[in-house]
Amino acid sequence: MSTRSRTRALLDDVSLTSDRLRTIGLYAALYGTAFLFMLPYWYMFATSFMTRDLVYAEVPHLIPWDLTFYWYEYLLNNSLIVQWTANTVILAGITTLVVILIDAMIAYSLTRLDWPGRRAIFAIIVASFMVPGIVNLVPVYIIVSELGLVNSVWGVVLPSAANPLGVFMLVQFFKDIPEELEEAARLDGFSRLRVFTHIVLPLMRSALAALGLFIFIWTWNAFVWPLLIFQDDSMYTLPIGLVTLQDNLGITEPGVIMTSAVVASVPLLLVFLVMQKPLVRAVEMQGTTK
Amino acid sequence: MGQANRQRDANANGSTLVDLSKSSTREWIAGSAFALPYLLIAGTFLFGPLLLALYMSLYDWNALDPAQSQFLGLENYRILLSDPDFWNALWNTVYFVVLTVPPIVVGSLLLALGVNREVRGQWLLRTVFFSPYVLTVAVVGLLWTELFNASGLVSYYLGGGNWLTSHDLAMPAIAIATIWWQLAFNFIILLAARQNVSDRLYEAAKLDGASSWRMMRDITIPQMQNPLVFVVIVTFVNSFQVFGQPFIMTDGGPSFSTTTIVLYLYDTAFTGRQFGYAAAVGYVLFMILIAVSATSYYFLGGDD
Repeated sequence: MSTRSRTRALLDDVSLTSDRLRTIGLYAALYGTAFLFMLPYWYMFATSFMTRDLVYAEVPHLIPWDLTFYWYEYLLNNSLIVQWTANTVILAGITTLVVILIDAMIAYSLTRLDWPGRRAIFAIIVASFMVPGIVNLVPVYIIVSELGLVNSVWGVVLPSAANPLGVFMLVQFFKDIPEELEEAARLDGFSRLRVFTHIVLPLMRSALAALGLFIFIWTWNAFVWPLLIFQDDSMYTLPIGLVTLQDNLGITEPGVIMTSAVVASVPLLLVFLVMQKPLVRAVEMQGTTK
Repeated sequence: MGQANRQRDANANGSTLVDLSKSSTREWIAGSAFALPYLLIAGTFLFGPLLLALYMSLYDWNALDPAQSQFLGLENYRILLSDPDFWNALWNTVYFVVLTVPPIVVGSLLLALGVNREVRGQWLLRTVFFSPYVLTVAVVGLLWTELFNASGLVSYYLGGGNWLTSHDLAMPAIAIATIWWQLAFNFIILLAARQNVSDRLYEAAKLDGASSWRMMRDITIPQMQNPLVFVVIVTFVNSFQVFGQPFIMTDGGPSFSTTTIVLYLYDTAFTGRQFGYAAAVGYVLFMILIAVSATSYYFLGGDD
């Protein structure tokens, strides 16, 4: 408020005061950085619509003077990209549902039900937040292969299903559910399960949605684990498919690579534009997690 | 709201009192039943493996027939400490951490403070800086591989030929791609933290005639201490575990100059099939991360 009115007042002032210089500097720095941030995106989109001549031109082009959908057709006809997209949606969907369900269940149990050892268990879950996933890379792979889950969706879903961050986030929210609501329902003869499905879950819709959005994006983008578990190219998710494209086609085609990058990122960029608020919220919740 | 509610509460307490003794066992059962799915999965894929990794690191692990594994004691750890490839990977990782953590932390702080001012197009700026957050490392890696190519944008305007095949420029190239990608998360955390600092503090300081530099030093930074410590530790832990970017952009080359510790672990395990040794590498990495997180937490002094 005050800055804006001051800026306006300064714009009327002809002389370059130090405040005005500072405002100009601020805008130049912010928008300059924003421009640099956007360049890679622009390059990715522009290249995906360029003709082969432009892609291979001596001087790198930033504007596709000759528009073509050649690379998109090429990708459709020469790769499993449609299958990979479907796989990614399925994997991210299943993981999101599983994580929300089991995280919400334990968060409910830890905040609402009284049983011995629950405090200790909550402390252990919070501590496990500090374990870097990479330490478990080898032993979890051994366990997954012992269970015969290599090359199966569950081999990726289960290892990422126990998500301490999700539990921690939900516990903060479940604490705020008024006790009276639950007691009233219990008096009406609701079982614990019914209280959970009919009262707790609906009440926590927005927190669950924020967590779900976060898990969905996280799984969509996951790299190490799908890379290890999916060994069949018909099982690949988009990130894995993209990286193997080069080898499978036997050639490096910048047009194909950039087009596949567009296909892999546009769905999430759209989700991001539409649902920025809950996503910002999910990230902010992590900031207060400590 | 008061009267009726209190009345009902009183009733509720009265009637639950009767079956309280009976329901407490039931509550135990219900409580553990709700916790069970998570605990089973976490036990199998999180806590169990942590112990298994420790166990494996004491063996020359035979993946085909674990019963045939040979007990080595601490031999894997001893070999590791005198393994030049391990040290090379560790130093590369430290170099990467030095190249990425300061720019990511300082950059995200500056952007957050800048966007927090009432600038025109605040929404647009926030969207732009946050957007790389939703990209997969595969897209980031492939996109920047093209940009750093001999005929790519960066080399064309800044020179340096193909950065990714240059011994000196490959790691900085990976660092630049990482900074572009990872700034987003910190930016959002710090923007929220800055918005939580009370305006009154600044108004009071202004009345005292404090310069903006002093307000930054004496109000903004101290008020944002906890989120800043959080951001430093998270960025450090992420950078130390870097894998996807070098895996995609350079595959550890040229001549192992971008082989980071996780890339080394991955290769030892899944190419070299030395699972016991790789588990030991994982544990050493774990210890380093805990030690550094604890130290920075101690020195940067996040309260409670």
